[in-house]
Amino acid sequence: MSVHFLNVVWLALMVATVLTWLIGKAGQPRPALIALVLVISALKGWLIIEDFMALRRVRLFWRAIMLGWLMLTLALILLAYWLGLR
Amino acid sequence: MPAMNAHALRSVGHPPHPHPPGDLAIWVFILAELAAFFALFITYAFTRLRHLELFAEMQRTLDSDAGMLNTLLLITGSWCVARAVAAIKRNRCRPSAHWLLAAMLTGVGFLVVKYFEYGAKFAAGIGLETNLFYTFYFALTMFHAMHVVLGMVILGFVWRKALSGGYSAQDHRGMETGAAYWHMVDLVWIILFPLVYVMR
Repeated sequence: MSVHFLNVVWLALMVATVLTWLIGKAGQPRPALIALVLVISALKGWLIIEDFMALRRVRLFWRAIMLGWLMLTLALILLAYWLGLR
Repeated sequence: MPAMNAHALRSVGHPPHPHPPGDLAIWVFILAELAAFFALFITYAFTRLRHLELFAEMQRTLDSDAGMLNTLLLITGSWCVARAVAAIKRNRCRPSAHWLLAAMLTGVGFLVVKYFEYGAKFAAGIGLETNLFYTFYFALTMFHAMHVVLGMVILGFVWRKALSGGYSAQDHRGMETGAAYWHMVDLVWIILFPLVYVMR
């Protein structure tokens, strides 16, 4: 993993965090923005697992567990939020 | 030569590692921690369904600036640890130790922000038993803060060994073990922050 790439990942995570915060600051977020917040969280988690935890070149079994945890957690949160809209 | 796509060629050149970086035991521990946080997050999300107005009203009383600042601190801490591992892989022991120290300082910063955030809540008469939302808020964030403290202790041991030249490009499994745990603490907060502070 090159140092330059790690720096780019860090910068992307910082920008994504500020974006999430801005969505929250803008008042009651609309459902589409909530979905966007969860997509941003998925991307952030993906970068942390693949590049900071360095699982990108590890066999699929371990990546599937970690990325599966991330996706399942966010999917169930989205489901709960969607049920709250009805 | 039979047709072989680019992915297959890459796989031949660099077969995937059978195990994640660090000691396998820490990964079993990480999975147990992630299972606990999964249960907490999902319980929060589905409990909120039955108390939509209460949760939305109470979430507006949270300090999202503090939440954002803490997210930036944890991400930066994770980056510092990743840089420490990258440095030791190049046999750069001192810079590696310095990156670890920087990561621990982000942990200190996280706890300082949490101290002021909790302090403001307690001063306003808000506590664990104020209502259901705040029970979840304190339970989730305090449980996570305990992991930040444990992560700092682990990094402290790794840092001491790194300072004394205990790691090298050939042997740095211990550092990778500590790094994996610290990244897990960051990963969990990546979900906790939007769930509790942003999603109303």
